[in-house]
Amino acid sequence: MKRLHIMVLSLILLPAIAINGAELTGLQIVDNVYNRDTGKDSKGNLTMSLINSQGNERVRTIKQFIKDFGKVEKKIMFFMSPADVRNTSFVNWSYTEEGKDDDQWIYLPALKKVKRISSSSKSDYFMGSDFTYDDLGDRQPEADIHKLIREEKFNGEQCYVVESVPKDEEYMYSRTVTWIIKDKWIGLKKEFYDEDEDLLKILSVKKFENIKGLWIILQSEMVNVQKKHTTKMQLSEVKINSGIPDRQFTERMMKRGL
Amino acid sequence: MGNFLKKLTKFNKIVLASVLILNVGFFMIMRSNTRMETDLDEYMPQEHPAFVYSNQAEKWFNIKDGIIIAIENEEGIYNSDTIQKVKDLTKSLQKMREIEKSDVTSLYTADNIIGTEDGMDVRPFFKRVPKDPEKLIKMKNLVRDNDMIFGRLVSYDENITLIIAEIKDDVFSQEFYHRILELSKEYEGPEKIYVAGSPIVEGTMAYLGPRDMQKMVPIVILIIIIVLLVLLRSIKATLLTLLVVLFSTILTFGLMAAVGIPIYAVSTMIPVMLIAIGVADGIHLFSHLHLYIKKNPSASRRDAINDMIHGMWKPVVMTSVTTAVGFISLITSQVYPIKYFGIFTAFGVLMAMVFSLVLVPAGLMMFGLPGWKDKPEKEEKKSRKNLGSVFSTWVVKHRYLTIIITISIIAVSIVGIGKVWINSSFLDKFEKDSDIVLTDKFINSHFGGTSTLNVILDSKEKDAFKDPALLRLIDEMQADVETLEIVGNSFSLSDYLKRMNKVMHADKKEFDIIPDSRELVAQYLLLYEMSGDPENLWKVVNYDYKKVNVIFQLKSDNSKAMKSAIGIIEKRIPGFSEKGVEINYAGSGYKGLVFTDLILIGQILSLLLSLIIVIILLSLMFKKVLAGLIGAVPIVITAVISFGVMGLFNIPLSTTTALLSSIAIGIGIDYAVHFIERYKIYALRTGDKILTSEKTMQHSGRAIVFNALVVIAGFLVLLLSVFPPNRALGALVSLNMFTSFVGTVSIMYLLLFMSNIYFKKNKKN
Repeated sequence: MKRLHIMVLSLILLPAIAINGAELTGLQIVDNVYNRDTGKDSKGNLTMSLINSQGNERVRTIKQFIKDFGKVEKKIMFFMSPADVRNTSFVNWSYTEEGKDDDQWIYLPALKKVKRISSSSKSDYFMGSDFTYDDLGDRQPEADIHKLIREEKFNGEQCYVVESVPKDEEYMYSRTVTWIIKDKWIGLKKEFYDEDEDLLKILSVKKFENIKGLWIILQSEMVNVQKKHTTKMQLSEVKINSGIPDRQFTERMMKRGL
Repeated sequence: MGNFLKKLTKFNKIVLASVLILNVGFFMIMRSNTRMETDLDEYMPQEHPAFVYSNQAEKWFNIKDGIIIAIENEEGIYNSDTIQKVKDLTKSLQKMREIEKSDVTSLYTADNIIGTEDGMDVRPFFKRVPKDPEKLIKMKNLVRDNDMIFGRLVSYDENITLIIAEIKDDVFSQEFYHRILELSKEYEGPEKIYVAGSPIVEGTMAYLGPRDMQKMVPIVILIIIIVLLVLLRSIKATLLTLLVVLFSTILTFGLMAAVGIPIYAVSTMIPVMLIAIGVADGIHLFSHLHLYIKKNPSASRRDAINDMIHGMWKPVVMTSVTTAVGFISLITSQVYPIKYFGIFTAFGVLMAMVFSLVLVPAGLMMFGLPGWKDKPEKEEKKSRKNLGSVFSTWVVKHRYLTIIITISIIAVSIVGIGKVWINSSFLDKFEKDSDIVLTDKFINSHFGGTSTLNVILDSKEKDAFKDPALLRLIDEMQADVETLEIVGNSFSLSDYLKRMNKVMHADKKEFDIIPDSRELVAQYLLLYEMSGDPENLWKVVNYDYKKVNVIFQLKSDNSKAMKSAIGIIEKRIPGFSEKGVEINYAGSGYKGLVFTDLILIGQILSLLLSLIIVIILLSLMFKKVLAGLIGAVPIVITAVISFGVMGLFNIPLSTTTALLSSIAIGIGIDYAVHFIERYKIYALRTGDKILTSEKTMQHSGRAIVFNALVVIAGFLVLLLSVFPPNRALGALVSLNMFTSFVGTVSIMYLLLFMSNIYFKKNKKN
């Protein structure tokens, strides 16, 4: 659904790969993950659990709607709990155009105002979790140089292990290593290394399901091993391609709440 | 006992050899097993509620001590070079093994909460160092607009900026301390770099104190040797006395090493005690021997030594046992190093006793009696009217004057005791013009303060601190405490919310207040989490909003400053408890304060306890309660004057100075026992009060003067030390020796004399 031209490009290139004995390059593998079809739209309930180093847990439940508008992917989220932030809503527009930052707005019901949050970069953390916007799947494959380092069986799945080094030396990670399931194009595990090459975070996908022929990740967990902080994300009541109307993503809907 | 000791002298070679082997053995253990304990946390009683709470709070909010590095550029910090240094130094610190990345705060890592046209944003002040002057000016203005940063990380004159690296207290080492100093030196010029903060102060102290002691101790020992030589007029006697001190010290530290107890800072006081007490045994023995030889110039070596043992074993054992019991009373202290100090000093004192009674006779048997060449008979007669008897006659003649003088000195001292204050400050231990004090002053004059007090507010209810009413209470408390001159600034969750409220209302001043509703507070906090790195938030509030940490920056680390801040905070207790919120404190500064209080209370309790024990012991030994009470007089006088002088001369009580009162017990008992024992012997022998006084003064009085002179001369050398705590140590040890001595030969003697003790019975007979 994203970056259609790349898909087209891949289709053109595919025969060339076939000639090379179906041996995929690192970039092609990552492209396949990035472009894995996750539907035209989706909605569901997201439960986000934040656990700090002392084992204290905070849970937020969110109803989210996502729709692909071609050059932009729009997402609207409504907080269901905790009670004091209920109906706080958050809109994120993510662009396919390279280098263009997301646009974000938030509606605070207590202030009765929609405010714009100007995100300084995609390496910001998402809602105080251990995921950055990039980690959530926004990072464009061209931003890194990818290398297939080996293939191995991991958690019962045949995986490609790909190492990715950012082109921008100032980027928050010095490299990442991803275990990608062959054919399903799901990153099953990912290790993130910080500027000093020290292991910073580990992402593990705990549960994924085939919904309407599409592979959807339902449960994942990110552990920041340096801060000993964990974020668990769990999706439920997922509906794919249910035909969410465009007006679901407007300011009026933000203010209306659930 | 006496007979056993006499028999032992026949086997002097075996005795000497076994003493030597024993010491070599313990010395080896000491060399291989001794461990210094420098982590101050190890000194604190971890089970004490204040420490338990503080340690927990330190975990909740990641409270650590900060090393403060100030970068000063007199031309202003907003130029590419200086900003580059801020970034490089920040990154170098973050890369150090001892420092966690997220624990370094500087202009490079700080979050800037800013209002934008249609919302708010949390972003760094810079990532890449701006080269272009316009961008630098923009950054300058951003800092000026943010009072969470301006005046806290950047000085108001914009010439200084701070980098704060927080470290856990168990990672600090001498090596790390020097690495920090070296690192900051690399960034010197044209900028000036200053390093401060409590870990640095403690580090410098831990480095300077022992180094200074290493320089001073040999001089102290040398002076003691010289004075001993002059007074004892014998190399053999001096050597044997010193060996008693040396061997008892080796055995004590050897035993500590053997049972795996590390050397704490207060343990360095053990040799001080052993010198003062160990020397006494030797001097009394040789003093007795000298008098005997004077009287019986033709006596054989064995006869002389037997007489010495016969006459002296009792007082030596009595003094040592009472002194040891006095030190053992420190076992009641809650502070482990002090407990150990008490136990091992007691052990050392007993070892000094054993060596005095075994080593000295054996040594004399082996190498011969000291070759005292006494002056001709004629002068001997003259000196019968010696200073001692002149003094004793004067004291008795002017008994009321003596009593009045004593009472007035005690009265003045009691006034002084009222002024005694406890100081847990580390900085106050340095010279006023030392680098470390000047640096601290410099940073304090430009920023909030180098010392921190953490006030922890604790509620049972989840999300309690999203309540605007509570947040307002916190804000009021901060404003209250900030009226104190020594409080530079404060920081809490309220500051975050005020800042966000203002920013969300187009930076209007009237919105620099706590938001009205709980929902708005919650939503601002959510917004903050979504916009920035929430890590900083967890330093002021815990995960479920049940607890907050209010941080106060103080310009002084002394106890008065911290207590004045706490005084104002305590007034807020009713307001908070109405809302179900408890106030507690945390952080190393606060722990230091509690710790010093504990030491003081423990010290006073053990002083009282040991006084009671000593009175009982003396009463039993001399078989008279009155003797016990009189014997306690020098101890009381010494302790009272010691504390009184500290109050009058504004010497605050600290770990070391408080312990010095133990010397009062140790020495006071010694003098009293020797003196009373001699007095008793002569009283029973002569039945004549005047003659008894004269003889006692000549015998014990002389030895006591010698003992006092030796130790005073030795410890006065410490007055030349460059490290103020060591100077205080020297002065107070000397003072205690002096008052013990004067108290014994004047008022205690007078009381003995007036009480007619040991004479009534004679009269009846």
